[in-house]
Amino acid sequence: MDIKNVLLIMRKEAAESLKNRWFILYTGCFSALALLVLLIATSGTNIAGFTGYGRTAASLINLVLLFVPLIALITGGISIASERENGTLSYLLSHPVTKSEVFFGKYLGLLIVIWFSISIGFGIAGVGVALRGGGGDVTNYLITALLSALLAASLLGVGFMVSAFSTKASKAIGICVFLWLFFIVLGDLGIMGTTVVLDLGIRQVLILALLNPGEVFKIASVLVLSPRFEILGPVGVYAVRTFGREGIFYLLFSIMALWTLVPLLLAYTVFSRLRKEEL
Amino acid sequence: MIEVRGVTKSFGSVLAVDGVTLDVEQGQAVALLGANGAGKSTLLKCILGLLDYSGVITVDGRDVNDNPKQTKSLIGYVPQEPEFYDIRTRDILRFFASIRRVKNERIDHVLELTGLKEHELKSTTELSGGMRQRLSFAIALLSEPPVLILDEPTSNLDAQARKDFLTLVCTYKNEGKTVLFSSHRLDEVDLLADRALFMRAGKVILEAKPENLGETLGLKVKINLNMAEESVDRAMSLLLEGGFPGVTKNGAGLDVEIESSRRMALIKKLIESGIELWDFSVDEPTMEDLVKQIEENGY
Repeated sequence: MDIKNVLLIMRKEAAESLKNRWFILYTGCFSALALLVLLIATSGTNIAGFTGYGRTAASLINLVLLFVPLIALITGGISIASERENGTLSYLLSHPVTKSEVFFGKYLGLLIVIWFSISIGFGIAGVGVALRGGGGDVTNYLITALLSALLAASLLGVGFMVSAFSTKASKAIGICVFLWLFFIVLGDLGIMGTTVVLDLGIRQVLILALLNPGEVFKIASVLVLSPRFEILGPVGVYAVRTFGREGIFYLLFSIMALWTLVPLLLAYTVFSRLRKEEL
Repeated sequence: MIEVRGVTKSFGSVLAVDGVTLDVEQGQAVALLGANGAGKSTLLKCILGLLDYSGVITVDGRDVNDNPKQTKSLIGYVPQEPEFYDIRTRDILRFFASIRRVKNERIDHVLELTGLKEHELKSTTELSGGMRQRLSFAIALLSEPPVLILDEPTSNLDAQARKDFLTLVCTYKNEGKTVLFSSHRLDEVDLLADRALFMRAGKVILEAKPENLGETLGLKVKINLNMAEESVDRAMSLLLEGGFPGVTKNGAGLDVEIESSRRMALIKKLIESGIELWDFSVDEPTMEDLVKQIEENGY
């Protein structure tokens, strides 16, 4: 694999995406809502132990959970499928580049663009907090941003996996929207429902939560921001008591890393095994 | 330069290319002719390494499957319907120039050569069909590759755009580069090709020099002669007596079906006999005529 080609494709992909009106709309909405979150979060006094950066970050968690997975999944979902559909992938491969260079170049290009968008949202809110006098822990605020970036990386990989399987972009988008609903909207409800129906113990509930990247992000972010792990309920208490406060944090980080690497490698395996006529 | 040995390609139960063997020498221009579905585009895509196949294909001695990057770097490809990323014309040239490790100065040269200089800041989506074809040709020429593969490059162009495009390809060919192209049009083959290969049902069934293709198959051109009404009968008699049997009246003059090589002799005979021609035109045989003739000849 020629790294120069990967970087060239990455740059092209990022430049093209930055001009995409959907991306501009998404970034605009995310930034505007981040600004709104900032105004609300910094308007009151100390609530639930959060102040300044901590409160803003806590408020941003829900915004991130809603927006970042959706854009990461859909962006990843259409990435390969749309190029297969309109013939640009075949044309690109008629030049001296390999499938692996195309795959990783596209992934990195799109990831950078999503990270750029997250940075704008967190950046606006962060600067706003600073202008309003700061307060709270900046490091934890940055770790929350980093966790958001990891969440984007993992779900972009899931999106790529869907895309590698799909011959049509519309089909990929449909599957990705379903996955977004499954991971994010129905995540909590699913865990609660399963727990009630199967009468699960606290350990199984934790395992169930850790299988969902959205839940992992949420637990890790709350743990970073809150000095009181009881905020996570009995499962949080169990997790911290079992693994320790640092241990659970490293475990969550590792799971996020796995959620990034495994889908991406699976997507690459599927993509690299596609027959040439399928590209 | 290009060697194809026993190449076979199937899509499910459909045999698209059936054991094709051919050679294209360096500096040669070879045309692949045939009706839709004959296997021309599939064969070109196999040579480009865009499709899996059985058999052996080498470009400049390198196996396409074993050395995909090296062989692709030797080939400039113009697809039938080029699809580009939604970025500016100059940026897409810069992207492919970087992929092919070509200096940026070359971009200006190909923009000038293909007449796209004034459109360099337009997005590729704003370009017309002819301009897109020229852009794909510009990309193909970026690295001055020794081989050019064109897949029905003029099928979506209007008459002027087609003429401009063919002039560009002729210039390239005259530089001694190897050209392999598929076409539906016999006039393009006449203009560009040193050899013509006719494909049907995935097989090369006939090879001929373009200038002999018509004669090999007994193809005829149709000449429409426009003249004064009082001259029509005399001209008809003259032509029938002079060994031009396929003469019919058309209302404004005569239609004559003759071998392509005899067209000048026909005009000369009429002029020498004092027949005043107001105008004349030549209908070249079409690909459909060629296909029909090949089937009638039992190839």
